[in-house]
Amino acid sequence: MKSQDLIALFRQVAKEVDKRDFPELTGDSVISDLGIDSLSMMQIVGEMELKLDIMIPDEDLVELVTVKDLLEVVERRMERS
Amino acid sequence: METRLALRMYQEYTTFFQKAERERRWNPFDDIPWDKINKNASDELALCAETFCGVEMYLPDYVAGGINVVRKSFGQAWFQANWAYEESKHALALTEYLLRSGKRTDEQMVDFQNHIFDKTWELPFKTPREMTLYGVIQEMATFVIYLKQRDRASAEKCEALHKIYDFIARDEIAHCRFYQTVVKVLLEEDREGTLGDLSHVFAKFEMPGVKLVPDYDGRVEVMRSAGIDRAVFLQKVYFPILRYLGITRHELLQASRKWKEAHGEDGAQPILTHLNGAHGEPRQQRAL
Repeated sequence: MKSQDLIALFRQVAKEVDKRDFPELTGDSVISDLGIDSLSMMQIVGEMELKLDIMIPDEDLVELVTVKDLLEVVERRMERS
Repeated sequence: METRLALRMYQEYTTFFQKAERERRWNPFDDIPWDKINKNASDELALCAETFCGVEMYLPDYVAGGINVVRKSFGQAWFQANWAYEESKHALALTEYLLRSGKRTDEQMVDFQNHIFDKTWELPFKTPREMTLYGVIQEMATFVIYLKQRDRASAEKCEALHKIYDFIARDEIAHCRFYQTVVKVLLEEDREGTLGDLSHVFAKFEMPGVKLVPDYDGRVEVMRSAGIDRAVFLQKVYFPILRYLGITRHELLQASRKWKEAHGEDGAQPILTHLNGAHGEPRQQRAL
Protein backbone atom coordinates (compact mmCIF):
# COMPACT_ATOMS: atom_id res chain seq x y z
CA MET A 1 0.00 0.00 0.00
CA LYS A 2 1.36 3.43 -0.96
CA SER A 3 1.80 6.29 1.49
CA GLN A 4 -0.98 8.26 -0.17
CA ASP A 5 -3.31 5.30 0.22
CA LEU A 6 -2.44 5.09 3.90
CA ILE A 7 -3.14 8.79 4.36
CA ALA A 8 -6.47 8.32 2.62
CA LEU A 9 -7.24 5.40 4.90
CA PHE A 10 -6.28 7.45 7.96
CA ARG A 11 -8.52 10.28 6.76
CA GLN A 12 -11.43 7.92 6.24
CA VAL A 13 -11.06 6.19 9.60
CA ALA A 14 -10.54 9.49 11.42
CA LYS A 15 -13.77 10.73 9.88
CA GLU A 16 -15.61 7.61 11.03
CA VAL A 17 -14.25 7.92 14.56
CA ASP A 18 -14.47 11.68 15.04
CA LYS A 19 -17.54 12.30 12.86
CA ARG A 20 -16.00 15.14 10.89
CA ASP A 21 -13.93 15.72 7.78
CA PHE A 22 -10.19 16.36 7.74
CA PRO A 23 -9.70 18.15 4.41
CA GLU A 24 -6.36 19.71 5.37
CA LEU A 25 -4.84 16.50 6.70
CA THR A 26 -1.40 15.58 5.32
CA GLY A 27 1.40 13.33 6.49
CA ASP A 28 3.01 16.26 8.25
CA SER A 29 -0.12 17.19 10.17
CA VAL A 30 0.40 17.18 13.92
CA ILE A 31 -2.24 14.86 15.32
CA SER A 32 -3.12 17.07 18.28
CA ASP A 33 -3.46 20.08 15.96
CA LEU A 34 -6.13 18.15 14.09
CA GLY A 35 -8.10 18.06 17.33
CA ILE A 36 -7.68 14.31 17.63
CA ASP A 37 -7.11 13.44 21.26
CA SER A 38 -5.33 10.37 22.54
CA LEU A 39 -8.44 8.23 22.97
CA SER A 40 -9.78 9.02 19.51
CA MET A 41 -6.31 8.22 18.26
CA MET A 42 -6.45 4.81 19.91
CA GLN A 43 -9.76 4.18 18.16
CA ILE A 44 -8.33 5.25 14.82
CA VAL A 45 -5.30 3.02 15.31
CA GLY A 46 -7.52 0.10 16.30
CA GLU A 47 -9.71 0.50 13.23
CA MET A 48 -6.66 0.71 10.96
CA GLU A 49 -5.19 -2.41 12.55
CA LEU A 50 -8.40 -4.30 11.86
CA LYS A 51 -8.64 -3.07 8.28
CA LEU A 52 -4.99 -3.85 7.53
CA ASP A 53 -4.87 -7.02 9.63
CA ILE A 54 -1.86 -5.91 11.64
CA MET A 55 -1.12 -5.53 15.34
CA ILE A 56 0.90 -2.58 16.60
CA PRO A 57 2.54 -2.91 20.04
CA ASP A 58 1.31 -0.35 22.59
CA GLU A 59 4.78 1.05 23.11
CA ASP A 60 4.96 2.10 19.46
CA LEU A 61 1.92 4.32 19.94
CA VAL A 62 3.14 6.48 22.78
CA GLU A 63 5.36 8.98 21.01
CA LEU A 64 3.37 9.60 17.84
CA VAL A 65 3.26 13.29 16.97
CA THR A 66 2.39 13.52 13.29
CA VAL A 67 0.21 11.45 10.98
CA LYS A 68 3.40 10.37 9.24
CA ASP A 69 4.77 9.01 12.52
CA LEU A 70 1.80 6.69 12.75
CA LEU A 71 1.89 5.72 9.10
CA GLU A 72 5.56 4.78 9.38
CA VAL A 73 4.73 2.50 12.29
CA VAL A 74 1.90 1.01 10.22
CA GLU A 75 4.16 0.46 7.22
CA ARG A 76 6.78 -1.29 9.33
CA ARG A 77 4.13 -3.59 10.74
CA MET A 78 2.75 -4.34 7.29
CA GLU A 79 6.21 -5.26 6.06
CA ARG A 80 6.60 -7.72 8.91
CA SER A 81 3.22 -9.37 8.42
CA MET B 1 -27.43 -6.17 44.90
CA GLU B 2 -27.23 -9.93 44.93
CA THR B 3 -25.66 -11.59 47.95
CA ARG B 4 -22.56 -12.96 46.25
CA LEU B 5 -21.65 -9.63 44.69
CA ALA B 6 -22.37 -7.76 47.91
CA LEU B 7 -20.06 -10.11 49.80
CA ARG B 8 -17.28 -9.60 47.25
CA MET B 9 -17.57 -5.83 47.55
CA TYR B 10 -17.55 -6.06 51.33
CA GLN B 11 -14.48 -8.26 51.23
CA GLU B 12 -12.65 -5.91 48.89
CA TYR B 13 -13.50 -2.93 51.05
CA THR B 14 -12.31 -4.55 54.27
CA THR B 15 -9.05 -5.49 52.55
CA PHE B 16 -8.62 -1.90 51.40
CA PHE B 17 -9.56 -0.48 54.78
CA GLN B 18 -7.28 -2.72 56.81
CA LYS B 19 -4.34 -1.86 54.61
CA ALA B 20 -5.17 1.84 54.84
CA GLU B 21 -5.37 1.67 58.64
CA ARG B 22 -2.13 -0.26 58.94
CA GLU B 23 0.04 1.44 56.37
CA ARG B 24 -1.35 4.65 55.00
CA ARG B 25 -2.72 6.90 57.73
CA TRP B 26 -1.09 10.33 58.00
CA ASN B 27 -1.76 13.50 59.88
CA PRO B 28 -1.54 16.81 58.00
CA PHE B 29 -0.39 18.60 61.16
CA ASP B 30 2.08 16.07 62.58
CA ASP B 31 3.53 14.27 59.59
CA ILE B 32 4.52 17.13 57.30
CA PRO B 33 7.93 18.72 57.96
CA TRP B 34 6.43 22.20 58.21
CA ASP B 35 9.76 23.63 59.30
CA LYS B 36 11.12 22.69 55.89
CA ILE B 37 8.96 24.90 53.72
CA ASN B 38 10.91 26.78 51.11
CA LYS B 39 9.27 30.18 51.31
CA ASN B 40 11.35 31.29 48.34
CA ALA B 41 9.90 28.65 46.05
CA SER B 42 8.29 29.99 42.91
CA ASP B 43 4.86 31.54 42.80
CA GLU B 44 4.02 29.02 40.06
CA LEU B 45 4.50 26.19 42.53
CA ALA B 46 2.04 27.88 44.88
CA LEU B 47 -0.43 28.55 42.09
CA CYS B 48 -0.42 24.87 41.15
CA ALA B 49 -0.92 23.93 44.81
CA GLU B 50 -3.79 26.40 45.07
CA THR B 51 -5.41 25.05 41.91
CA PHE B 52 -5.20 21.44 43.08
CA CYS B 53 -6.42 22.56 46.47
CA GLY B 54 -9.40 24.14 44.71
CA VAL B 55 -10.17 20.93 42.86
CA GLU B 56 -9.99 18.98 46.11
CA MET B 57 -12.33 21.50 47.74
CA TYR B 58 -15.31 20.33 45.71
CA LEU B 59 -15.36 17.47 48.18
CA PRO B 60 -18.93 18.16 49.36
CA ASP B 61 -20.18 17.68 45.80
CA TYR B 62 -18.01 14.63 45.16
CA VAL B 63 -19.26 13.03 48.37
CA ALA B 64 -22.90 13.93 47.89
CA GLY B 65 -22.97 12.65 44.34
CA GLY B 66 -20.65 9.71 44.70
CA ILE B 67 -21.96 8.10 47.83
CA ASN B 68 -25.59 8.16 46.79
CA VAL B 69 -24.85 6.36 43.53
CA VAL B 70 -23.46 3.38 45.47
CA ARG B 71 -25.49 3.61 48.68
CA LYS B 72 -26.97 0.14 48.14
CA SER B 73 -23.54 -1.48 48.24
CA PHE B 74 -22.04 -1.62 51.71
CA GLY B 75 -18.51 -2.12 50.40
CA GLN B 76 -18.64 0.68 47.89
CA ALA B 77 -20.59 3.14 50.05
CA TRP B 78 -18.23 2.66 52.99
CA PHE B 79 -15.33 3.06 50.64
CA GLN B 80 -16.76 6.39 49.56
CA ALA B 81 -16.94 7.50 53.18
CA ASN B 82 -13.33 6.51 53.75
CA TRP B 83 -12.33 8.06 50.43
CA ALA B 84 -13.94 11.33 51.52
CA TYR B 85 -12.00 11.33 54.79
CA GLU B 86 -8.73 10.81 52.96
CA GLU B 87 -9.52 13.40 50.31
CA SER B 88 -10.47 15.92 52.98
CA LYS B 89 -6.88 15.83 54.22
CA HIS B 90 -5.58 16.70 50.78
CA ALA B 91 -7.29 20.10 50.65
CA LEU B 92 -6.39 20.66 54.28
CA ALA B 93 -2.70 19.97 53.78
CA LEU B 94 -2.50 22.13 50.66
CA THR B 95 -4.33 24.96 52.43
CA GLU B 96 -1.88 24.75 55.33
CA TYR B 97 1.01 24.84 52.87
CA LEU B 98 -0.32 27.97 51.17
CA LEU B 99 -0.80 29.73 54.52
CA ARG B 100 2.39 28.60 56.25
CA SER B 101 4.51 29.34 53.20
CA GLY B 102 3.19 32.89 53.20
CA LYS B 103 2.07 32.48 49.61
CA ARG B 104 -1.53 33.19 50.62
CA THR B 105 -3.14 35.03 53.51
CA ASP B 106 -6.08 33.83 55.60
CA GLU B 107 -8.30 36.34 53.83
CA GLN B 108 -7.18 35.18 50.40
CA MET B 109 -7.91 31.56 51.27
CA VAL B 110 -11.39 32.35 52.58
CA ASP B 111 -12.09 34.35 49.45
CA PHE B 112 -10.83 31.45 47.33
CA GLN B 113 -13.01 28.99 49.24
CA ASN B 114 -16.06 31.20 48.82
CA HIS B 115 -15.51 31.30 45.08
CA ILE B 116 -15.11 27.53 45.02
CA PHE B 117 -18.32 26.95 46.95
CA ASP B 118 -20.27 29.29 44.67
CA LYS B 119 -20.18 26.60 41.99
CA THR B 120 -21.32 23.02 42.10
CA TRP B 121 -19.71 19.97 40.57
CA GLU B 122 -22.20 17.69 38.86
CA LEU B 123 -21.94 13.92 38.70
CA PRO B 124 -20.53 13.03 35.26
CA PHE B 125 -22.18 9.58 35.05
CA LYS B 126 -25.31 8.08 36.49
CA THR B 127 -24.72 4.42 37.27
CA PRO B 128 -22.53 2.85 39.97
CA ARG B 129 -20.54 0.96 37.36
CA GLU B 130 -19.87 4.03 35.27
CA MET B 131 -18.82 5.98 38.34
CA THR B 132 -16.50 3.18 39.42
CA LEU B 133 -14.87 3.20 35.99
CA TYR B 134 -14.64 6.97 36.15
CA GLY B 135 -12.92 6.56 39.53
CA VAL B 136 -10.28 4.29 38.01
CA ILE B 137 -9.32 6.82 35.34
CA GLN B 138 -9.58 9.91 37.51
CA GLU B 139 -7.56 8.48 40.39
CA MET B 140 -4.85 7.17 38.09
CA ALA B 141 -4.57 10.47 36.24
CA THR B 142 -4.52 12.38 39.52
CA PHE B 143 -1.82 10.08 40.85
CA VAL B 144 0.37 10.82 37.83
CA ILE B 145 -0.21 14.57 38.14
CA TYR B 146 0.65 14.61 41.84
CA LEU B 147 3.83 12.64 41.24
CA LYS B 148 4.83 15.28 38.76
CA GLN B 149 4.08 17.98 41.33
CA ARG B 150 6.07 16.10 43.94
CA ASP B 151 9.10 16.10 41.68
CA ARG B 152 8.61 19.78 41.00
CA ALA B 153 8.43 20.55 44.74
CA SER B 154 11.58 18.55 45.22
CA ALA B 155 13.36 20.47 42.45
CA GLU B 156 12.39 23.69 44.23
CA LYS B 157 13.75 22.29 47.48
CA CYS B 158 10.46 22.45 49.38
CA GLU B 159 10.51 19.34 51.54
CA ALA B 160 7.15 20.12 53.11
CA LEU B 161 5.30 20.31 49.81
CA HIS B 162 7.20 17.29 48.52
CA LYS B 163 5.91 15.29 51.50
CA ILE B 164 2.36 16.53 51.02
CA TYR B 165 2.32 15.41 47.39
CA ASP B 166 3.95 12.15 48.38
CA PHE B 167 1.13 11.39 50.83
CA ILE B 168 -1.56 12.53 48.42
CA ALA B 169 -0.19 10.49 45.50
CA ARG B 170 -0.03 7.42 47.71
CA ASP B 171 -3.68 7.89 48.66
CA GLU B 172 -4.72 8.40 45.05
CA ILE B 173 -3.11 5.21 43.79
CA ALA B 174 -4.66 3.27 46.68
CA HIS B 175 -8.06 4.61 45.65
CA CYS B 176 -7.34 3.69 42.05
CA ARG B 177 -6.42 0.14 43.08
CA PHE B 178 -9.68 -0.26 44.98
CA TYR B 179 -11.71 0.92 42.01
CA GLN B 180 -9.72 -1.40 39.74
CA THR B 181 -10.38 -4.32 42.04
CA VAL B 182 -14.09 -3.58 41.92
CA VAL B 183 -13.93 -3.33 38.13
CA LYS B 184 -12.31 -6.76 37.99
CA VAL B 185 -15.28 -8.12 39.92
CA LEU B 186 -17.65 -6.32 37.57
CA LEU B 187 -15.82 -7.77 34.57
CA GLU B 188 -16.30 -11.24 36.01
CA GLU B 189 -19.99 -10.53 36.44
CA ASP B 190 -20.66 -8.92 33.06
CA ARG B 191 -17.61 -8.50 30.88
CA GLU B 192 -19.39 -7.18 27.79
CA GLY B 193 -21.45 -4.62 29.67
CA THR B 194 -18.51 -3.44 31.75
CA LEU B 195 -16.30 -3.08 28.71
CA GLY B 196 -19.01 -1.11 26.94
CA ASP B 197 -19.29 1.24 29.89
CA LEU B 198 -15.50 1.57 30.08
CA SER B 199 -15.31 2.62 26.45
CA HIS B 200 -18.07 5.14 27.05
CA VAL B 201 -16.49 6.53 30.23
CA PHE B 202 -13.08 6.81 28.59
CA ALA B 203 -14.67 8.67 25.69
CA LYS B 204 -16.54 11.13 27.89
CA PHE B 205 -14.00 11.45 30.66
CA GLU B 206 -12.93 14.74 32.08
CA MET B 207 -11.25 15.55 35.37
CA PRO B 208 -13.46 16.87 38.17
CA GLY B 209 -13.64 20.40 39.35
CA VAL B 210 -10.85 21.92 37.33
CA LYS B 211 -12.96 24.06 35.06
CA LEU B 212 -14.88 25.31 38.09
CA VAL B 213 -11.84 26.70 39.86
CA PRO B 214 -11.86 30.53 40.03
CA ASP B 215 -9.78 32.46 37.51
CA TYR B 216 -9.41 29.34 35.53
CA ASP B 217 -8.21 31.02 32.35
CA GLY B 218 -5.45 32.85 34.18
CA ARG B 219 -4.14 29.58 35.57
CA VAL B 220 -4.01 27.77 32.27
CA GLU B 221 -0.60 28.86 31.10
CA VAL B 222 1.07 28.35 34.46
CA MET B 223 -0.68 25.01 34.89
CA ARG B 224 0.47 23.68 31.56
CA SER B 225 3.64 22.22 32.98
CA ALA B 226 1.64 20.64 35.78
CA GLY B 227 -0.47 18.60 33.44
CA ILE B 228 0.31 15.46 31.54
CA ASP B 229 0.67 15.34 27.79
CA ARG B 230 -0.78 12.72 25.48
CA ALA B 231 2.29 10.49 25.59
CA VAL B 232 2.28 10.45 29.38
CA PHE B 233 -1.47 9.90 29.42
CA LEU B 234 -1.14 6.85 27.20
CA GLN B 235 1.97 5.55 28.90
CA LYS B 236 1.03 6.18 32.51
CA VAL B 237 -2.76 6.12 32.55
CA TYR B 238 -4.46 4.48 29.57
CA PHE B 239 -2.24 1.46 28.87
CA PRO B 240 -1.59 0.65 32.54
CA ILE B 241 -5.31 0.66 33.26
CA LEU B 242 -6.03 -1.69 30.38
CA ARG B 243 -3.13 -3.96 31.32
CA TYR B 244 -4.13 -4.10 34.97
CA LEU B 245 -7.68 -5.01 34.02
CA GLY B 246 -6.58 -7.55 31.41
CA ILE B 247 -8.22 -5.71 28.53
CA THR B 248 -6.77 -5.22 25.05
CA ARG B 249 -7.22 -2.15 22.89
CA HIS B 250 -9.07 -4.21 20.33
CA GLU B 251 -11.44 -5.62 22.91
CA LEU B 252 -12.22 -2.10 24.04
CA LEU B 253 -12.72 -1.01 20.45
CA GLN B 254 -15.23 -3.80 19.81
CA ALA B 255 -17.00 -2.91 23.04
CA SER B 256 -17.17 0.71 21.95
CA ARG B 257 -18.83 -0.27 18.69
CA LYS B 258 -21.40 -2.41 20.47
CA TRP B 259 -22.04 0.28 23.06
CA LYS B 260 -22.73 2.84 20.35
CA GLU B 261 -25.01 0.44 18.49
CA ALA B 262 -26.95 -0.27 21.66
CA HIS B 263 -27.18 3.31 22.86
CA GLY B 264 -27.52 5.05 19.54
CA GLU B 265 -24.63 7.34 20.19
CA ASP B 266 -23.25 8.84 17.02
CA GLY B 267 -19.69 8.90 18.26
CA ALA B 268 -18.18 10.02 21.51
CA GLN B 269 -16.55 13.37 21.85
CA PRO B 270 -13.72 12.77 24.28
CA ILE B 271 -12.75 15.57 26.56
CA LEU B 272 -9.30 15.16 28.06
CA THR B 273 -7.90 18.59 27.63
CA HIS B 274 -7.48 19.32 31.33
CA LEU B 275 -4.96 16.51 31.62
CA ASN B 276 -2.72 18.44 29.37
CA GLY B 277 -2.29 21.07 31.99
CA ALA B 278 -4.32 23.46 29.90
CA HIS B 279 -7.34 22.36 31.82
CA GLY B 280 -10.57 22.66 29.96
CA GLU B 281 -9.37 24.28 26.78
CA PRO B 282 -11.49 23.48 23.76
CA ARG B 283 -10.76 20.01 22.57
CA GLN B 284 -9.92 21.16 19.09
CA GLN B 285 -7.15 23.32 20.46
CA ARG B 286 -5.48 21.08 22.96
CA ALA B 287 -6.31 17.48 22.39
CA LEU B 288 -4.04 15.07 24.18
